[in-house]
Amino acid sequence: MITVDKLRKEFKKTVKEPGLKGSVKSLFKPKSEKVVAVRDISFSVEEGEILGFIGPNGAGKSTVIKMLTGILTPTAGSCTINGKNPTQNRQSYVKEIGVVFGQRTQLWWDLPLRETYGVLKEIYEVPEDSYNRRMAFLNEVLELEEFIASPVRTLSLGQRMRADIAASLLHSPKVLFLDEPTIGLDVVVKDNIRKAIEYINRHEKTTVILTTHDLADIEQLSKRIVMIDKGTKVFDGSIAGLKTQYGQIRELTFETGVANAAAVLEYAKHFSLGEEDVSVETEGNVVKVRFNSAAVPVSDILSYTLNKVSVSDISVKDADIEEIIRRLYGQGAV
Amino acid sequence: MKRKLKIYLPFVNAGMQEVATYRVNWIFFMLGEALSCFVTYFIWAAVYSSGDKESMNGFTMPQMIVYIVLMFLTGTIIASDGAYVVGEEIRDGSIIMRMIKPVSYNATFLFQELGNKLPTEIAIAAPMIITVEVIRTMISGVLQFNALSLILYLFSCALAYLISFYFNICFGFTAFVIKYLWGANMMKNVVVGFLSGAVVPLSFLPGVLEKVFLFLPFASLNYTPVMIYMGKYTGAQLLYYIGLQVFWVLFFFGLSKLLWRISVKRLSSQGG
Repeated sequence: MITVDKLRKEFKKTVKEPGLKGSVKSLFKPKSEKVVAVRDISFSVEEGEILGFIGPNGAGKSTVIKMLTGILTPTAGSCTINGKNPTQNRQSYVKEIGVVFGQRTQLWWDLPLRETYGVLKEIYEVPEDSYNRRMAFLNEVLELEEFIASPVRTLSLGQRMRADIAASLLHSPKVLFLDEPTIGLDVVVKDNIRKAIEYINRHEKTTVILTTHDLADIEQLSKRIVMIDKGTKVFDGSIAGLKTQYGQIRELTFETGVANAAAVLEYAKHFSLGEEDVSVETEGNVVKVRFNSAAVPVSDILSYTLNKVSVSDISVKDADIEEIIRRLYGQGAV
Repeated sequence: MKRKLKIYLPFVNAGMQEVATYRVNWIFFMLGEALSCFVTYFIWAAVYSSGDKESMNGFTMPQMIVYIVLMFLTGTIIASDGAYVVGEEIRDGSIIMRMIKPVSYNATFLFQELGNKLPTEIAIAAPMIITVEVIRTMISGVLQFNALSLILYLFSCALAYLISFYFNICFGFTAFVIKYLWGANMMKNVVVGFLSGAVVPLSFLPGVLEKVFLFLPFASLNYTPVMIYMGKYTGAQLLYYIGLQVFWVLFFFGLSKLLWRISVKRLSSQGG
C-alpha cells in the first residue's frame, strides 16, 4: 500500500548571528546552512494497517507526512502510495487520501460547518446520494449534528477536530494521514476521536498513518510503530517488540515509613547495576524504582527490598511504552 | 469545462458568504475609497482653477471629474487581494491546506475572490455609472450615455481584472523567496497606482514616457477601460488596446503557472 524508500529531505536555513549586529550582518551577507530534516528513511505499510509515527519534537515526523501527502518534494528517495507518486500529478493523487493537520484546519473559517462539506462534496465529486449516506455515517461516528450549523470559528477545539476528521473522510479515502489529531484535547474528546479512528479503520479498511506525542493514542490504536529521532529511523515494529527489545522495564512502587529509604537501599550498588538499568524516585513516603528485569530478576529486587525496609504497600508493574520512550529519548541514541 | 465550473462555483458562493460575515468592514472600506475619490477631485479642481486653460492634455475639467469617478469605479472592480492573501498563506504555512485538495491552487483563489467582489461590484457599479452620466449630461446639456461603450467597458474591466489577479498572484509567490510581503506590497501598490493612470492620466506624461507606459501591463488595468468608456479609444485603436489586454492576461496566467511550479519545489513549510 505504502512504500517509502530512502526518503530524504534537506532544507537550506538562513543562520543569523545573535543580536542587532547579527541582524544587520545577515541583511548584507546572509549565511545559510544545510539542515537534513529526514535522513534516508524507509518503511512500508500494509493496507488496513494503523501505523503510529512517533518521535520527539523536531524529529522530522511532520516533514515525512508532508512528503507523503505531496506537499513537500523529497530531496532524494521515493515514496509510493497506492501505486502513485505524491509529488507527480498532485491533483489526482490527493483525491485518494485524507489529511488532517491537528494544528491547522481545512474548514472554512467564517462559514457554517455545513458549507465546508458542501464545497468538499463538489471538489471531490461525491454524488448526492453517497454524500448523504456518508454524512449520516460520519455524523453517527463523530457526532457533528450539534454544531453543523455553527460558523467554524465558534467551534471548540474538540468540535473542530472532529469536524476536520470528518472533512478528511468525506470522499472515503484509501489512506488517512493524521498529524497530531489529538493535540490540545481533553481526555474524553481524545478518547472519542480514537474510537472514531479505530471504527473507521475497522469498517472501511482505511490505512491510517498517525503521528502523535500522546503515546496513549499509539497504545490504543496502532499495533505497529515507527520511531524516528533527528531524521533517522530508530525503531520499526510492534509495541510488544519495542518492549522486549528495549529492556524489560518494570516499576516497583512501595510505601515505607523509613526516611531516606533510597539511600538505605542503594540498589545500584547492591546489584551492581548501571545508571540505565535502575532509577529511584522518592515522593514523600512513596518510593518508585524503575529497573531492567533482564539485568536483575524481579524476585531478587522484591526480597531484597522487603528484607531491608519495612513496607506497607507494594506493587510491581510493567512500565508503559511512555517509560521506554523516555529512556530512548533520554539516551539520545539507541 | 462544465465539470470544472461545478467544482469551483462553490468557492464563489463561499466567497460571497464571507463578505456577508464582515459587512461593517466592507462598508468602512467603501467609505474610505469614496473619500480618497473626493480628495483627488479637490486636487484637480485646484489645478484647473489655477490655470487659465480650459483643457489640459485633452481633458477638460468636466471630463476630469468623469475620469476620477470612473477610475474609482474601475479600481474597485479590478482590485485583487491575491498578493496579500498568497503571501500570508505562504508566511503562516496554511498554503498546505489548499495543496491537499484536488483543485488548482490559483483557480480556488480566483473564484473565491470573485465571490468576495461580486456583491461590491453590483452594489456600486450602477450608482457610479448613473453619477457619471448625470454629471456629463448636466455639463453638456445632452445625454451622452452609450450602451455599446458600457458593454465594451465592462468587457475590458473583466480582462483588466484577470490581469490584476494573475499579476498579484505572481507577486504573491515571491513570498517564497522574501518570506514576508507587507513592505513589498505597499511599494507595489504605489508603483502600480502611478503606472496605471490612477493618480494622473497617462496623457499628462511626456510623449515617450506615455508610449512606454501605455504598453506596460499596468495601463491595461485601469486606464484602458476608462478610456474606452469615455470614448477616447475607437476603431483600430480600441481593438489594439483590447488585444493588448488579452496578451497581458495570457502572459500573467502563464507566468503564474510557471512560478507555482517552481515555488512548490522550494516550499519549506514555515511553522510546522
